[in-house]
Amino acid sequence: MSEVALLQLLGMSVVGLGICILLFIKSKFLRVLGFVIIVLGSFSLTALSVPQMASLPPAIESFDIASLKSPDDLASLGQKIFFSKGQCALCHSIGPSHSARCPDLAGIGAKLAPEFIYESLTNPQAYVYLDYRHDQLPEEYPAQMPYINKNPIALSKPEIYSVIAFLQKMSGEPITIKVEDVLNQEPDTKELKVAGHARANDAGNIILAQSSDMVVE
Amino acid sequence: MKSPLISAAILLGGVFAFLKFILPLFTAPLPASLIYLYLAIVLSGIMIFGTMSAGGLEAFMGPIYRFISGEIDGPTKMARILVLIVFPLLVGWQTYTKLAPSELPPAENRTIHPAPPGEFVGLANPYPTNESTIQEGKGIYAANCSPCHGPNFDGKGSAALGFNPPPANFADPGTIAQLQESYLFWRIKKGGVGLPIEGMPWKSAMPRWEHELTDEKIWKVIIGEYDGAGQSPRTWEEED
Amino acid sequence: MKHYSPLQMIRNSTFPISGVSLLKWGGMLVLLLFPILAWAQDAATQAMSVEYRDIPGIGSRNIIWIVAQQHLLLAGFVLGVPIFAWICEIVGWKTNEPRYDKLAKEFTKLLTSAYATTALFGGILLFLLIGLYPKLMAYLTDIFFPSFIAYCILFILETATLYMYWYGWDAMQGRKKALHIFLGLLLNLFALGIMIVPNAWATFQASPVVIADGTAIERAWSAMQNPTWWPVNIHRLIANVVLGGFICGAYAGVRYLLAVTKEEKEHYDWMGYVGNFIGVFGMLPLPFAGYWLMREIYQYNQQMGITLMGGFLAWLFILQAMLIGVLFLGANYYFWLGIAHRIPGSEGQYKKPIMAMLIVLLACLAVWMTPHSLVASLAEAQKMGGTHHPLLGVFGVMSAKMTVSNLMVLVTFMSFIMYWRAGKVETAGWAKAAKGLMGVLLVIASVAVIGLGIWGYFVPAIIRINYFSVAQVLIVLFIMITFTPLTALLMKSAKTTTEMVWGQMPVRAGYSLVLNAVMVILLMSLMGYARSSSRVHWHIYGVMRDTSEYAYSPALGYAAAFMSLNTFVFCLLAAFIFWVATLGDKAKSQPPKDEPVKVPPMGSSTPAMAGGAPTSEETRK
Repeated sequence: MSEVALLQLLGMSVVGLGICILLFIKSKFLRVLGFVIIVLGSFSLTALSVPQMASLPPAIESFDIASLKSPDDLASLGQKIFFSKGQCALCHSIGPSHSARCPDLAGIGAKLAPEFIYESLTNPQAYVYLDYRHDQLPEEYPAQMPYINKNPIALSKPEIYSVIAFLQKMSGEPITIKVEDVLNQEPDTKELKVAGHARANDAGNIILAQSSDMVVE
Repeated sequence: MKSPLISAAILLGGVFAFLKFILPLFTAPLPASLIYLYLAIVLSGIMIFGTMSAGGLEAFMGPIYRFISGEIDGPTKMARILVLIVFPLLVGWQTYTKLAPSELPPAENRTIHPAPPGEFVGLANPYPTNESTIQEGKGIYAANCSPCHGPNFDGKGSAALGFNPPPANFADPGTIAQLQESYLFWRIKKGGVGLPIEGMPWKSAMPRWEHELTDEKIWKVIIGEYDGAGQSPRTWEEED
Repeated sequence: MKHYSPLQMIRNSTFPISGVSLLKWGGMLVLLLFPILAWAQDAATQAMSVEYRDIPGIGSRNIIWIVAQQHLLLAGFVLGVPIFAWICEIVGWKTNEPRYDKLAKEFTKLLTSAYATTALFGGILLFLLIGLYPKLMAYLTDIFFPSFIAYCILFILETATLYMYWYGWDAMQGRKKALHIFLGLLLNLFALGIMIVPNAWATFQASPVVIADGTAIERAWSAMQNPTWWPVNIHRLIANVVLGGFICGAYAGVRYLLAVTKEEKEHYDWMGYVGNFIGVFGMLPLPFAGYWLMREIYQYNQQMGITLMGGFLAWLFILQAMLIGVLFLGANYYFWLGIAHRIPGSEGQYKKPIMAMLIVLLACLAVWMTPHSLVASLAEAQKMGGTHHPLLGVFGVMSAKMTVSNLMVLVTFMSFIMYWRAGKVETAGWAKAAKGLMGVLLVIASVAVIGLGIWGYFVPAIIRINYFSVAQVLIVLFIMITFTPLTALLMKSAKTTTEMVWGQMPVRAGYSLVLNAVMVILLMSLMGYARSSSRVHWHIYGVMRDTSEYAYSPALGYAAAFMSLNTFVFCLLAAFIFWVATLGDKAKSQPPKDEPVKVPPMGSSTPAMAGGAPTSEETRK
């Protein structure tokens, strides 16, 4: 017997019980309870009458850097990082958006050199003006942008490079990041270990799901 | 005196006849699930109106009670016995037809536009809409898409008849006009097999175009598609 | 990471609100709690070793589902009841009517016993969450720890205020009543705080924001200010009032069914009316709040929006339409039963308008429940050319649903206005003009709502969402805001032709009150499931993935069985709590029975909540 049929049987029994209570029992309180279970049983039966479908989680992807062949591969890896582990899309949009809290990144790969994008990601404070609006020494405005190469997001250099490749592609630009640049990066073992904490300790693998990422300060 | 019970029965029968027989004269027949839904709504209305006042309740439920409890004499007494025999048989027959194996596939509930995966949400077309991209896009469309989706973007290509469900009709305001460009990019790039389970990937014949077309071509074909179908993509911006 | 001195930390905090003193206090609090924060981080590091625990047999997710749902429903009741108990108290204070004060006190009595049970379930939930989901809880603790402290403080304040409010009720009558009302205000403010702080945790899971470096308070505050926080706060606040109202209505309904004496019947009939009234009036703005929330979700992440509205959960919204439809029908049915039974002889007069309203309601419901993607067999789908029906497919989209939900709100409001005016004749000279104006306005409003709905098919989605839907809502609100005072003015000078009789309602009125409460509880369970499964396989959307074996979202039927179970358990819990709360006054209530039921004299400005029928001595003669 399938699970649906079992639940349907259960629902019908509950409704039947409720009807029996209403037919044969005088106690007012029990009658109200009987009425309630008829309502609840009918609701469940209605929900069971439409075709049932559970939503399964997608498989957790693991990406081997060695399999990268072309700049386009880099960009598609960068696309995944941009929208998941990198958390870029929590603030930035590509193209106009009402919900974006930070600058629109459409065309950014054409406007900015990859070196500058890299610096913006790893040292967001670099070009933020100081606050002179008081008598004391000037202070920094804290940048809204977090340090992408540090916790909690902590992308490794190859990962950041692939995100830049993705941004260039999304601007309709040729990708200037070279696969060799990424492959030849000595992955900072410490950072990669944090990124792939529980699942994979073998350096060279980038875990795309955040399952194992923990904030460690 | 007109019994409310009879008018209720007439109303229910009339609604059923209208939905089942008269409406299909003008448009496609309704699926049974929808007819049941509307009948249930009408029935609940009858119950509510019939039981509003004490007199109404009596007029409405009284004959039913008396019929079932057998207080009425004469030929209706026979009818009561008949109903008491036939009703359980009906329930049994219904249960049997539900459970009996049949060669028909079960009724389905396919989500036509399921949620895209995270990495395809919020992409913007990197190519501008202008005469050259439109022409380029239409060219790619004619070469790759038109056999199914039709040269007129109406889903009536020469190969369309072979598919169930049929290829999407882009001229219909319920299809691409409801979607953002990034959604089309995902559908074209990943094809039918890229659908999540609620979209029933096994039902779609859409090829996975990432093996044939570059991203640039996919973006341009989207531009051509919208222009050709006379639709514009859904956006969150009011300028468009 | 930069190192700031603690004082700098406070100065540098860039909070967008101007509650400076609040910030300073918060800052001081963190200074005091520094050792605890350090300890919490240690705990977070250790907890990484275990990501999930499970309870075999039931499953960790299912047990959390049940306990969290019970906690939330109880909390909704506990937070909703003080709002209208307080309003009842003010009405009683201002109009000098003791029966309102008595009603408010009766509600508050239910509150005290429900409060402890809520806290109990909250505690169980916390232990289970820490035990079963250590990874997630460590992450949330790391971000939200300062708000945990704030929550605890709010909880202590709420408890203290509740005790004073309840135990001081009789002591603070008379001159000290203003102080008691002030206590009620404080109680509601703390309750609001208790609701919105955990809302921030839950909404952060659904719509997280990037947490940059900063002090603990800065991090917690920026996480709390996520895009769906305030929409959920408003939606839940209103829904809690609705839940409280309908549950009190159901309580009165059951007591009415059980009542033996005439006095009891009269009292609980009236109480059921007030509960239903509060529930309905809370329900009228609820679709608008829900619409706002949905819009924020769509804007936050299109993927989540599609999952909810068009994707995996689309059928859930058909079920929601069904439940809301039953709720609207049940509430109206109760109003109509009231007209037919409390106002003798009015039946024939109101039969036609009731039928018209019923037909409109049912037609709206039929449109609302028509799904976009239909369930169809292969042959049926082939005839339709897909699972979209060529003609009825137009009912499946947002424009149609918004229109009919607005119309249903409008009809329910008119149903109430009709009840209010039933059994009375306007005497004012301008009554005819006012009634004519109301009729014209109503026709214009209905035509405008429908017109905007049809026009909505022909404009880009964003125009419809930003202007048309908002305009429809504003039109309906305008009708409500103009009609209520106008009717109140009309009724002020109206002559009562037929006296309203309490305690004459048929048995099915009690059942319809119970039905409404069950519908509201089911709706809250259903939408809780929707909120939770819209995150699909994420604990924290896009940030922390659920890697447990329960990462999938269960099918609707399975979920519905769980919702029904939860609703039933909650009904039993509520019945038990109310039974316990009323054990004491069984003995006490015997002597006053001899006293004649004193119908309180009501001024000519009878509040609508009183049932609309002035029963004062003057009008009786």
